[in-house]
Amino acid sequence: MSCFEGQLASWIAPARVADLDTSQTTSRTIAQLVAEYSTALYRVAFSVTRNAAEAEDAVQETFLRVLKHEARLVEIRDYRVWLVRIVWNIVLDKKRRAKTRPENEDIAEQTRTLPSGERAADATVISSQEHGRILKLIDQLPAREREAILLSAVQELTTAEIAGALKTTESSIRSRIFRARRELTVLLEKEGIQR
Amino acid sequence: MKGEMNSGQRLTPEQRIDAALRAVASATPEAGLQGRILNRLAAERMGANPAPSGLAGLLHRVPRFAGAAVTAVFVCVAGTAIVIGSVDHSRALHRAPVVAPLVPGLSGNGIGTASAVHPVAPVSVPVPASRSSRGRSSRAADRGRARIQRHSHKAAGVAVPAPDENSPK
Repeated sequence: MSCFEGQLASWIAPARVADLDTSQTTSRTIAQLVAEYSTALYRVAFSVTRNAAEAEDAVQETFLRVLKHEARLVEIRDYRVWLVRIVWNIVLDKKRRAKTRPENEDIAEQTRTLPSGERAADATVISSQEHGRILKLIDQLPAREREAILLSAVQELTTAEIAGALKTTESSIRSRIFRARRELTVLLEKEGIQR
Repeated sequence: MKGEMNSGQRLTPEQRIDAALRAVASATPEAGLQGRILNRLAAERMGANPAPSGLAGLLHRVPRFAGAAVTAVFVCVAGTAIVIGSVDHSRALHRAPVVAPLVPGLSGNGIGTASAVHPVAPVSVPVPASRSSRGRSSRAADRGRARIQRHSHKAAGVAVPAPDENSPK
């Protein structure tokens, strides 16, 4: 944390003495936001991009936007929802620009993201392949259902926060998640029959 | 491995979905993510608020509207000067005496390229008539109509007077 504070101190180098207090306060707030939410935002971004570098880029861009609108920080009631909404818009925008999902969802990348359990390496790779298949099925879902189910997977987010990020109601989120899971189950069962 | 695969296949679709979502949602960023973010923010802030020095700093401190005003005044003055100079030059050209170009060997009948020069007609000075001879424009006929001699050489189609009874044949 001392290194973190050192970076924070180097960052707080305001150009004008008059704005010293304000700038220090906002810089400290942003640094706290980075410390508190960067991992959750990374997970939100990764759920869409499925690429570590792109997810990190999205998180950095999120905080750059926060810095750009630092004057609005005092108006924000729920930082988590605000930040999730920003990173969500960024990754969706990137995805839209890329048109298609990148094909670099390599197994190694997936493997790295899996929770380190007691599984053998071979079993993990096999699971990764299956996870990749399920994720492709998730991509086939309608956008609303897909977004809801992906955000619901991020443990740091409650249904209310997901609803806030997607600008809808909690009941709508619940029904979207329900529909998404039902459709996925049907798709998986079909796939199981075909296999 | 085989046992793992079999156990994986025994999972219900719901469990498989949960497992896949958990894998995505438990992604861990590379170590030092916060530091990298803060570094980038610091770089961004330093880039957004540079402290220029010297002439650049002076220019940076001058308000933009002042620079715009100076530029506008300069443009107005320069434009006015250009217009005035152009008008003066045009008037000076019109005031200058027009001198007819001297074209040696100009033919008087205006045929040829020399006629395109449009020289100003020189002031005509009356030429005094010679006393010793007749003027070039004096009539040689006595009176009445001019007579065309019957045997004179004429172009085709010129009317010939009827033969006079008194005239010798």
